[in-house]
Order: sequence, then structure tokens, then C-alpha cells
Amino acid sequence: MIDWAAFVVVAGASLLGSVVVVSLYSLGLRLLTSAGRALVVDPQSFTGAITILTPKRAAKEAKRARKTASANPLTVGQKRLALVGAYACFVLCVGAVLYGVYLIVPALHR
Amino acid sequence: MPVDFTLIVVLVIALALVFDFTNGFHDTANAMATPIATGAMRPKVAVGLAAVLNLVGAFLSTEVAKTVSGGIIREGDGGVQITPEIIFAGLIGAIVWNLITWLRGLPSSSSHALFGGLIGAAIIGIGFQSVDYNVVVAKVILPALIAPLTVGVVAFIATRLAYFITRRDAGRADGRGGFRYAQIFSSSLVALSHGTNDAQKTMGVITLTLIAGGVQSVGSGPQLWVIVVCALAIAIGTYTGGWRIIHTMGRGLTDVKPAQGFAAETSTAATILASSHLGFALSTTQVASGSVIGSGLGRRGATVRWGMAGQIALGWVLTLPASAIMGAFAAGFALLGPVGIVIDLLLGSLVVVLLFRRAQRSRISHDNLHDIDDAGRVVKIRKTPRKIARRDRKKVAL
Repeated sequence: MIDWAAFVVVAGASLLGSVVVVSLYSLGLRLLTSAGRALVVDPQSFTGAITILTPKRAAKEAKRARKTASANPLTVGQKRLALVGAYACFVLCVGAVLYGVYLIVPALHR
Repeated sequence: MPVDFTLIVVLVIALALVFDFTNGFHDTANAMATPIATGAMRPKVAVGLAAVLNLVGAFLSTEVAKTVSGGIIREGDGGVQITPEIIFAGLIGAIVWNLITWLRGLPSSSSHALFGGLIGAAIIGIGFQSVDYNVVVAKVILPALIAPLTVGVVAFIATRLAYFITRRDAGRADGRGGFRYAQIFSSSLVALSHGTNDAQKTMGVITLTLIAGGVQSVGSGPQLWVIVVCALAIAIGTYTGGWRIIHTMGRGLTDVKPAQGFAAETSTAATILASSHLGFALSTTQVASGSVIGSGLGRRGATVRWGMAGQIALGWVLTLPASAIMGAFAAGFALLGPVGIVIDLLLGSLVVVLLFRRAQRSRISHDNLHDIDDAGRVVKIRKTPRKIARRDRKKVAL
């Protein structure tokens, strides 16, 4: 017997898991940027064989991040709120991953 | 005769562990190529982490091992008694086919080679009725067709979401570089999921051998020492395979953006973990390839190179029957008794030596790094000049 429901479960679980984890992390990044703390990746520590960042391009990115931070329309309080929200998203994201792993380990359910 | 019996069981276990080692050796790239390439982790740290997580993953769930040991081949009780000799022949077939595809640069799946070899050997050694085709279709063939497609769709949606949520006005920082940090975790999850699926296949084979040898009761799961040994073999293989990635990195990989890579890896890990839980024996390479293609399509201006996609799919389809033929040949010899086993071993080693000789002469080599890379090239990304760049150029001109 072919258990078609099992395929639906796998597809659904992977869709749900991926969407939740990716959304939470992306939202965290977005809030971090809103809070004026955009993550600009240092080309020294991320040499990037995949996305090749030239020093010029990296300087441009850093400038852009500063510009975004200075032109931020949010008040100090709102920024702080965004920062708290960002960290909350990251924590929830890690939590979602750990919960997902917990679900599939039979040893934890006895 | 008990001495002979133990000898063949030990031989099969050793061969299965060699297979497990090469599996880890091949698949380090699936998980760790991206974070090493983006510089998210130093190569040695990344490879070490992948090895440890494979080890941990192997202990988490043994559902896939039960599929292999208790499902595919009818091992007894109304079915037909499978012997260690037949499993031995299946392993030889799988290893030989793996090496051929690896050295000739054909896309393949070591998991499907293993199943193909076992099925071929069982059909020749025992007969058509020895294979439970329902289980083969339900737990191996259908997942192989469905999983790369669903993971592709999931990766597509996840990539779109990641870009949608982090979108900003042109010229503003979008913070997407931060996805590189996330990749450290998502690739670790891929390594963990690899342990829950691929290490299990060897556990299943060893358990099947022990059942066939009469050491273990029919229908029981893998014993603790089997889990430990298989986990170690795949972890050591993963660690040893690392140097090749570092070596290949110089040639560059397909253009994968951090946000895209993170979405692809998350989808891969989620799919493999969910499948392992339900005992589906997936090919981790096929899933990783599917998600790389899906996430590539999630980017702006992406089109598919169908010819290339077709080539990869053909290689996948070919694996099961081709390794089944190899396994069948090996089983034909194994039926001759101890002499046949020796012939199998000699022929197997001869093929290995010949293939390596040829590979050294023509300098062809292939591994999963290229499988994933090929998958990435299936998607063509149109390079659209960004508005900001044009505006900057005007400023310079003024």
C-alpha cells in the first residue's frame, strides 16, 4: 500500500518549517535594518567565492547602510522597539528549529 | 560451517562501512560548500562541524534504517531467506556503479545505487518474489520523484518570502548580507539531516545482514553498536571529504546569493528531516539539487535551461536499473559459493584500480559538489543593471 498521506505530511511539514524559519529570520533582519543596525558584512571576514564583493562595492554597501541609518524616520523609542522585535524574531527562529528537531526524535517522546 | 558464516558477515559489515565512509566523503559538499564559499565559516571548522552533526544525526532517528532492513527485501517468515552473500553482491554492485559515475562525471545518487545493487542481487540470487516492490515504490521510487519537486517548490516560496520581507527602496541598505550568518545554521541543519537519512541506509544493510546471518531476530531495528559504528564511519568520511571542497573552491561555484542559499538550505533540511521521520529513504543530493534549482527560480529574471535539467534527471533515472545490473552480475558469481565471493572481491578491486588509473590519466573527477553546481546552472539568472548603479554613473559623469 502506498501511503499518499505521508507524502502530503512531508511536503506540508517542510513547507511550514521552511516558511516559518525563513520568514522569522528575514523579519529579524528587516527589523534590525529598521533599527539602524543593518548588518553590513565585512569583506575581510567574508571573502565570498559565491558573491564576489570588491572593496569598492563593500564600501558602497557600508555607505548605503550609514545613509539608511541617518535617514531613518523612526524615533529613538521606535528604533529600540524594532531592535527588541528583531532579537525576538531571531530567538523564535532558533526555537522553531529546535522544536522541529525535537518532534522527529523518538527518544524524546517516551 | 559457523566459521565461514561469521567470516562472510564480517566481510559484508566491513564493505557496508566502506560504503558509509564514501557516502560521507561525497556528501560533505552538500552541506558545507556554501558556508565555506561565502566565508561564513573557516573550512576546517565547517568540515569538523559537519562531521559532528552527521554523527549526532545518525542517532536521532532510525526510521530509514528500518525501511532498509525490514521493508525492501523479504528476509524471512513466509518470504524467502536472504543470505549475507547476496547482500555482499549488492554492495559490490553499488560501490562499483558509484565509482563509475563518480569518475565519469555522471550525476548519480549513492543511495539509489545501494538500493539498485541490493534489488538486482536479490532478484538473481533468490528470485523476483524476494523483493517487496510495494515498499520499493512507496519508500524509494515515489519519494525520489516527489521530493526534488516539492523541495523545489518549497525553496521557491521560501526564497520569494526572504526577498519580499527584506525588500527596501533602491539605494537603501537591505541587510541581506545578514543571511550569511544564517547560513552557518542552515547548513549545519543540512549536515544533521544527512545523518538522519544517509547513515541510516548502512545501518539498515548491516541489520539486514545480521538478520540474514541469524544473529538478530526478523523485524527488529538496528542494534546500538551498529548505530555507533555507522555514525562514526559517516562522520569520519565527512571530515575526510572536506579537503576536496577547499581544493575545488578556487574554481568558484554557481552564483548563489546569501538569502537564496539560506532559503534553499532550510528547505533541504526540513524536507530531509521530515522524510527521515517517516522512513522515506531519500537521496540527499537530489533534494539539495532540487532546492538549489527552486531557489534559483525564486530570484528575479530566472529561466530554466531545460536541456541541462533533463541530463541531470536522466542520470538519476539511470542509477537504479544500472546498479541493479551490477548487483545482479555480482550475485551471479556469489551463488558459486566461497569461490564466487573471492571472484567478486577480485573483480571489484580490479574495476576500482582500473577506474582510478584511467581517472588519473585523463584527470576526470567528479563529486557531489559538481552535482549541486550542475543543478545551480540549470537556472539562468538574467543580469539586470540596477537603477542605483545607473544613477551613480550619471553622478560620476557630471
